[in-house]
Amino acid sequence: MADSAVMGSGSLNSGNRSAASKTSTSPSENYQLARRRTLQVVISSLLTECGFESAEKAAVETLTEMMQSYISEVGRCARANCEHTARSTPTLSDVVITLVEMGFNVDTLPAYAKRSQRMVITAPPVTNASVVPKALMTGQKRTHPPHIPSHFPEFPDPHTYIKTPTFREPVSDYQVVREKAASQRRDVERALTRFMAKTGETQSLFKDDISAFPLIAARPNSIPYLSALLPSELELQMLEETDSSEQDDQTDTENNPNNMIQDDQGADKENAVLPPGGGVPAGKPSEENMIDNPYLRPVKKPKVRRKK
Amino acid sequence: MNRKKDKGFESPRPYKLTHQVVCINNINFQRKSVIGYVELTIFPTVVNLNRIKLNSKQCRIYRVRVNDLEAPFIYNDPTLEVCHHESKQRNLNYFSSAYTAAVSAVDPDAGNGELSIKVPSELWKQGDEMKVLKVYIEFSLDQPKGGLHFVVPDVEGSMAERAAHVFSFGNQNSTRFWFPCVDSYSELCTWKLEFTVDASMVAVSCGDLVETVYTHDMRKKTFHYMLPIPTAAPNISLAVGPFEILVDPYMHEVTHFCLPQLLPLLKHTMSYLHEIFEFYEEILTCRYPYSCFKTVFVDESYVQVSSYASMSIFSTNHLHSGMIIDQTPLSRRFLAQALAQQFFGCFISRMSWSDEWVLKGISGYIYGLYLKKTFGVNEYRHWIKEELDKIVQYELKMGGVLLHPTFSGGKEKDNPTPHLFFSIKHPHTLSWEYYKMFQCKAHLVMRLIENRISMEFMLQVFNKLLSLASTASSQKYQSHMWSQMLVSTSGFLKSISNVSGKDIGPLIKQWVDQSAVVKFFGSFAFNRKRNVLELEIRQDYTSSGTQKYVGPIKVTVQELDGSFNHTLQIEENSLKHDIPCHSKSRRNKKKKIPLMNGEEVDMDLSAMDADSPLLWIRIDPDMSILRKVEFEQADFMWQYQLRYERDVVAQVEAISALEKFPTPASRLALTDILEQDQCFYKVRMQACFCLAKIANSMVSTWTGPPAMKSLFTRMFCCQSCPNIVKTNNFINFQSYFLQKTMPVAIALLRDVQNLCPKEVLHFILDLIKYNDNRKNKFSDNYYRAELIDALTNSLTPAININNEVRTVDNLNTDVRLILEEITRFLNMEKLLPSYRNAITVSCLRAIRMLQRNGHIPSDPILFKSYAQYGHFVDVRIAALEAVVDYTRVDRSSAELQWLLDLVQNDPVHYIKHKILSMLAKNPPFTKAAESSLCNEALVDQLWKLMNSGTAHDWRLRCDVVNLYYALFGLTRPSCLPLPELGLVLNLKEKKAVLNPIIKSDPGPELEEEQHVVIEPALSGVAMAPQSLKRKAETLLCSSPEPGQIMQEEPSAKITVKTREEEDIDMETVHDSQAFIYHHLNMLERPSTPGKEVSSVEHAMLSMPGTPMPLLSKESMSSKHGDHHHHHHHHHHEHKKKKKKHKHKHKHKHKHESKDRDSHAFSNSPASGRSIRSPSLSD
Repeated sequence: MADSAVMGSGSLNSGNRSAASKTSTSPSENYQLARRRTLQVVISSLLTECGFESAEKAAVETLTEMMQSYISEVGRCARANCEHTARSTPTLSDVVITLVEMGFNVDTLPAYAKRSQRMVITAPPVTNASVVPKALMTGQKRTHPPHIPSHFPEFPDPHTYIKTPTFREPVSDYQVVREKAASQRRDVERALTRFMAKTGETQSLFKDDISAFPLIAARPNSIPYLSALLPSELELQMLEETDSSEQDDQTDTENNPNNMIQDDQGADKENAVLPPGGGVPAGKPSEENMIDNPYLRPVKKPKVRRKK
Repeated sequence: MNRKKDKGFESPRPYKLTHQVVCINNINFQRKSVIGYVELTIFPTVVNLNRIKLNSKQCRIYRVRVNDLEAPFIYNDPTLEVCHHESKQRNLNYFSSAYTAAVSAVDPDAGNGELSIKVPSELWKQGDEMKVLKVYIEFSLDQPKGGLHFVVPDVEGSMAERAAHVFSFGNQNSTRFWFPCVDSYSELCTWKLEFTVDASMVAVSCGDLVETVYTHDMRKKTFHYMLPIPTAAPNISLAVGPFEILVDPYMHEVTHFCLPQLLPLLKHTMSYLHEIFEFYEEILTCRYPYSCFKTVFVDESYVQVSSYASMSIFSTNHLHSGMIIDQTPLSRRFLAQALAQQFFGCFISRMSWSDEWVLKGISGYIYGLYLKKTFGVNEYRHWIKEELDKIVQYELKMGGVLLHPTFSGGKEKDNPTPHLFFSIKHPHTLSWEYYKMFQCKAHLVMRLIENRISMEFMLQVFNKLLSLASTASSQKYQSHMWSQMLVSTSGFLKSISNVSGKDIGPLIKQWVDQSAVVKFFGSFAFNRKRNVLELEIRQDYTSSGTQKYVGPIKVTVQELDGSFNHTLQIEENSLKHDIPCHSKSRRNKKKKIPLMNGEEVDMDLSAMDADSPLLWIRIDPDMSILRKVEFEQADFMWQYQLRYERDVVAQVEAISALEKFPTPASRLALTDILEQDQCFYKVRMQACFCLAKIANSMVSTWTGPPAMKSLFTRMFCCQSCPNIVKTNNFINFQSYFLQKTMPVAIALLRDVQNLCPKEVLHFILDLIKYNDNRKNKFSDNYYRAELIDALTNSLTPAININNEVRTVDNLNTDVRLILEEITRFLNMEKLLPSYRNAITVSCLRAIRMLQRNGHIPSDPILFKSYAQYGHFVDVRIAALEAVVDYTRVDRSSAELQWLLDLVQNDPVHYIKHKILSMLAKNPPFTKAAESSLCNEALVDQLWKLMNSGTAHDWRLRCDVVNLYYALFGLTRPSCLPLPELGLVLNLKEKKAVLNPIIKSDPGPELEEEQHVVIEPALSGVAMAPQSLKRKAETLLCSSPEPGQIMQEEPSAKITVKTREEEDIDMETVHDSQAFIYHHLNMLERPSTPGKEVSSVEHAMLSMPGTPMPLLSKESMSSKHGDHHHHHHHHHHEHKKKKKKHKHKHKHKHKHESKDRDSHAFSNSPASGRSIRSPSLSD
């Protein structure tokens, strides 16, 4: 019926089947189409052998399908048998057992194979299907030195251990880096300030050429000490990067929010349920009680007016 | 004066204050107003107390009640307008004496006050029982110009969100500006303080916060403070604002307050306060006297730090983060000062103004001890040296600073400080600089006392003062017990002699009772035969600010064999002193040379004189005399002294001496010092500048690269690429300061053409270019600022070809580079502002320097925009300094006017003060030089400013006086038209009359005035006629105020009397009446139209059967004055009748317009208030 090549391909196909579904152009699908075509040729020749002159396409298809299933099943079972015996490649006996199990009389096979009227079908053209991607060869693979017996494994590919420098040394190290950093920063600063100067109000030192050394106009700030005293975000960031060893006491950081909250509540007028009666300090951990500072104490409620 | 009455303290008042309640119910930030009341509990100490004088300024007083009875009162403040009647005197002598008299007239230490309350007669009878009186005064303040300062930023949101706050301030005793009180440091009482503020605000005040209670509407809360420790009113303060609260983590009774958002800075800044506390408590062996302490950081503060009972108010600009190096020691110093004043100044107060030096001295002295402990002995000695140099320089320039002035009696001519243009009789008449020098001298003298009696005894004395005071403070009021809390010079000296058993009389006499410093000139010769050092010490005690010194002086001689101290006696006539030397000159022997501290060092002795064993000589090495020493020794001796003497003071002296010896050897010695990292960093910093000077002197022979450049490269630049500075790492502060200073000094180098060498300029530009702070833990803002200063220092005058206009095109290429850096820095500051905008400050200075050197057009517009309100204060001051400089250089009257307008209108007191002091320091013109700026209008403006425009701020008024002195000197400004000469004789007469009337000390000043007046000045008498007229008009126009009613009759009586006596020449009754008042005013200086006060005197007088022991003196003197006055008139009229007629009329016409001016001015708020002040009395 079919030679081993076909069978092998059938078993291979069983794994791929589900994946290959629609028309596509990938090599594996090309391969599948070619195989199916071969199977159809086989079915057609068998039909011819049996004496059919023509067949409907649907019938040929059905038979092809059956054929394929059969071969697939043989392949699958053969592999299962082989794996049962802890091997990876099926042997003849595996196939024989499979065929037996599937109720096929094996003894009839050689005779069938040698029948006179059988038709020979050319093997499907082998497209360069199983191209194993070649490992990149780098350098010469080393042979064993004399003291290592040859049965030891070979050296791994050279690329696994050969070191190849991947960057060039800068022309001159530190100086250039500093130079570059300095000029970069200067350029950025200059561009930025120029931009700011162009987009905003400016003051000038010269009367003849107002654009010569543009100074961003001085703008009074309603709370000038804030920007002058507080470190800028940039500085804070830098400080974090370098080192932040200073650790202030936890206690007061906790105290403060309380107090502020308290004040806020005061601001919220009377409707704020007024916790000052005890809510705030009581709720706090013991350290709160330790610190007895009059400014942290709750604000008292006014006494009820008795006079009126 | 005080020294004689060492038994307790005699109050100048006929009552004793025991308790005062201050209640401020309402603080309105929008309107900047305050409403409240005070209640004083007083014990009369005389049988019939009928009048109570209190201090109050600015306050609008609504009612006064004594023991629930309405009491009539008079409000009269002569300091509002010092010289009345638009006097044309215009000279400082006249003003000074008038001002002193005015201040005396309300001086609480003399029992006077602005507010005079008549005790209701119902209460008189209780007199013999000495019953307690309660004086209740309701008052309000509307937009106060002094005493309280409102800061209300102009942003969106509620007052709390806007960080609006208010705080009290003042120069010395200025509490009267914000509530009526006895504004004296010697009147102690306990306090109850209540402040009702918005619920989002905190009111911080003196004493213990007892409770905080909501008002009924829950919108506000009331802070109740109790101060059980007797405290003087000037030590009471208040700060209200939406403060963030930080309880000190080490001391829970200490609370810190700062404005919103600054809490992280506050935490850092306050992290070492507990160490200062511990230090003081340890050395004084005395606990901090108050039960709590509060620090408040406010914006727009009046001074950097001010201390009050149990709280201190600081400028918020001292807050800093951990990244800032330079501010850290400064802030610590301010904290330490504040705390020292808590013990001496707040807890212990003073008996009188002349005892102030003890308080300032002790607090300054223990502050010095703190400096020594925290910053090290080198820093301490360096500081002492700086302070000594400062006081010496000031006294030599201005004349002496007198710590303990005595005013024996009052009206005598012996003004203790005739060399000064102001009186030192009151703290409020002092120039600010003088007061700073006063404090400086006080602590130096304390140190001298310590030298004499040892520190141990010194601390025992302090401890004794403190323990006496704390015993007294815990007592309930008993007569005189509380006066133990007042320190006096005599009491202090007595405890010194008790504790130490030593007599420090001569020392006190020399430095405390006498002003001036000592000036020594020293030189020496070595007598080889006798092996004797012949030292000659001469003194200059004739020039101003110097005095003669007689007594011991220490001389240290460093010889080859070691260092030897000699104590010489400076005597009347001995100039030469022979000092035997210990060592023969034997420098062949290689031997180590022992130093003073026991160290033995190898020296290269090749520079020495072969015959002499002397290495160096020091006169008074311990600074135990307030002196200046000019000592001559050879240059190699100074070099040895610099290299090997371990005392920083000696090193500093050697460096300044070496400036005069520009030799390679000096260069080497200085370079060696610079490189030695064992050496004190300030010495090395000074060496930088000296080296620059030497290099400039040696410019023609200088070899090698510019001075210090290679040194800097070696110390701070990369080894691989010497033109690039290392990335910043300021972990070592000594080298940080050196790194900062060296470029500034290098930039001072000049080449043969007197230009800054290109090499140097590019070196500095490279430093700026390669500055990299990314890896640094600390901020580099001050470093960058100093690099800009270095650029500024490198500037030299532009070569100006025929006065062409400066344009961009003809800009020098180097200057273009500099300008580019400055532009970039200044612009970057807008995006990333540096701490305290230090870089902007430096940039502004640089731009002004560029202008001044003619590189860019001179123009004040930029500076004026930076000087606006709303910039950081340092920036404003830098900008104003530039404007002041511009004013002087370009003689611009517009700018001068602009500055003076700012003085009148700027919201920040400190800025006003700074403008005036900068103007005085860098005056637009002086008396010597002619200037178009010097004109009558300016004189008038300044005079008015001084006379009445600055009545709300003592310091500012003295600043104006200072400026006036700098511009015009003591005499009448030369730009004023000459007065009529015919008045000279009148003047003499007038003086004879005036002298007994003015109770204060016109003294020699008046005498001088007489001479002076002969040429330019107009006398008060000469002006009298037309000023009278104005006065009269005023009187007629102003509807009689309620307070006047009760005096109606007596005043009429006077009028009649006057009419009888005054028979000649006076045009109307009103005139004559006013004329009298004019002179009476010399006594009382009323600002309200003369009538009330003087008539009150008479009213009191004429009240039958009223014993007035206390008043009698005064009224006598006024009577006396009257008499003399009239007498004078007869006399004078007879003689000069005709002449006077003529001149008088001329005068009238001439000055009519002026008068109108002055009239308008007197309606300005300052003086106007007094006229309209509600002296209600029902």
